[in-house]
Amino acid sequence: MKPLISIRAVTKKFTKGSTTIKPLEDLSLEVPRGEFLSLMGPSGSGKTTLLNLIAGIDTPTSGEIFIDGRDISKLSRAELTKWRSHHVGYIFQLYHLVPILSAYENVELPLLLGKLSKSERKEKVLAALDLVGLGDRADHRPSELSGGQEQRVAIARAIVHDPELLVADEPTGDLDRNSADAILGLLNRLSKEHGKTIVMVTHDPKASAAAHRALQLEKGRFVEEGNLINAH
Amino acid sequence: MKLIVLALKNLTRHRVRSLLTILGVAAGMFLYASVQTMQHSLAVATETSAADTTLVVYRENRFCPSTSRLPEHYQATIERIPGVREVIPIQIAVNNCGASLDVITFRGVPPETLLDYNPGIKIIEGSFEDFAGQTDGALVGQHLANRRGLSAGDKFEAVGVNVTVAGIISSDSPQDENVAYVHLPFLQQASRVGLGVVTQFNVKVESSDLLESVAGKIDEIFESDQQPTNTRPEKAFFAETAKQMIELIGFTRWLGLGAVFAVLGLVANAVLLIVRGRVKETAILQTLGFSRFSIGLMVVFEGILLGLAGGLIGVLGSSAFFYFKSFTLGNEGLTLALSPSLAVTLSGLVVAVALGLLASLYPAWKATSRPLVQSLNA
Repeated sequence: MKPLISIRAVTKKFTKGSTTIKPLEDLSLEVPRGEFLSLMGPSGSGKTTLLNLIAGIDTPTSGEIFIDGRDISKLSRAELTKWRSHHVGYIFQLYHLVPILSAYENVELPLLLGKLSKSERKEKVLAALDLVGLGDRADHRPSELSGGQEQRVAIARAIVHDPELLVADEPTGDLDRNSADAILGLLNRLSKEHGKTIVMVTHDPKASAAAHRALQLEKGRFVEEGNLINAH
Repeated sequence: MKLIVLALKNLTRHRVRSLLTILGVAAGMFLYASVQTMQHSLAVATETSAADTTLVVYRENRFCPSTSRLPEHYQATIERIPGVREVIPIQIAVNNCGASLDVITFRGVPPETLLDYNPGIKIIEGSFEDFAGQTDGALVGQHLANRRGLSAGDKFEAVGVNVTVAGIISSDSPQDENVAYVHLPFLQQASRVGLGVVTQFNVKVESSDLLESVAGKIDEIFESDQQPTNTRPEKAFFAETAKQMIELIGFTRWLGLGAVFAVLGLVANAVLLIVRGRVKETAILQTLGFSRFSIGLMVVFEGILLGLAGGLIGVLGSSAFFYFKSFTLGNEGLTLALSPSLAVTLSGLVVAVALGLLASLYPAWKATSRPLVQSLNA
């Protein structure tokens, strides 16, 4: 079966003043459909950069990134924006809900880009909120929710348009243990029951253990027990 | 439409910030609309058109109504000039010959000829018969009546002249809205100029292309008379005689321009601050798939909505202000009613929206020009 994500010899470089920084170097990776993959590594290892490349919010300096057979490394900024609106759900560490909007309105945001009617949007938003267990909090503003609830709203927002790929940047990094476990359970369910492919960056070994597969990044390359590997 | 709703939510849910900006815009637009109202009122009073057929015959080299004294018998001579349709002798008494905001002008006219000469006059309160049958009766322009709180039956005094309000009039001529018409002999006696002396003649000619030739003929006839005349079309007479007032109003253009720049700066600053405070939020929306164009458009909508809301308050506030206060600028016995107009209201709203749009273009560009990853890490 063709993998959903196929990364081939990707390098990312940028310059800061006179220094050239390479957060990722000649990195390859394949992620099958429906897999829940965790990326671990110390700060500066390049895991968030890799996540951003997979999510299409950044582009590689060289190499190719195929998502569902499409090379997104060649897309323009505008094309990437359009692609993201259909294919990716992004979950942030600090939830990043729009504070002036209710939970319902936050979840509705990705659907405003499409041509759905108000009632169709409502159906989808309520289904997503029900899925994350917050059907009764639709009218609450982010400031009226706990951290765990905010992250669940953010997950509902990430899945409401039914993307095949979810990327999560330290989704439990700002939560207490119980809330973190609930979020990990939810992500697991999305992968197992709904067939979502999930790539999650985390520092937390317990969070990483919830994934199907865990990869360690160091200095822009995958390592396993200190050895460089190609993560196929 | 969805973007407008989002922009509206952004504004309504940051109430204090939006309200302060809207109030600032409203203040600027109030000033702008007020200046425009003055300019528009002046244009109506001075711009000539093909429909203008009135000449004013004034004493040569005189600047104030009290110094222009013409023999009333000139009327018969003027009436005989070919092209002249109607002549009305007018005695004028004013409370202030200089530029003033509260000028009261009495126009003494033969009552029996007033409506024939000026059929545009409508009696909106009281009656013409009361005016005609009452020596001290006065027909008061509605603008003056509003300003002074006068109704039919009231008595009022100005310039040492005591009159009884016999009626309130409206007219298609702005000048009529600001004066009190009284009986000519009554005013000649009350203002002590004496019977047989008038300030001016208003002359109606058959068509506007006769204005110049008839004016020339009148001045030629009385050139070597004891009281030589200076005859000009009514609007040109206004433009020349009320020069001080016109210069003063001309100067207010700069205030209007200042108001426009103030509004522009205010909206630009407010929208820029909004955008700066929402760098991450904007990045999140982009991550969700909102294009740079749609985010820029949302910022522009916010600017337009701020401009429109402030414009509505400021421009309509200005219209209401001029409507209820009935301000009249006067100079040398001529009056200029500062009246709100639909054209000024509509153009004020268009300017407010345009300023909102213009002021939000740079913030809109700023909101979307930063690389997405950089904004997410901001």
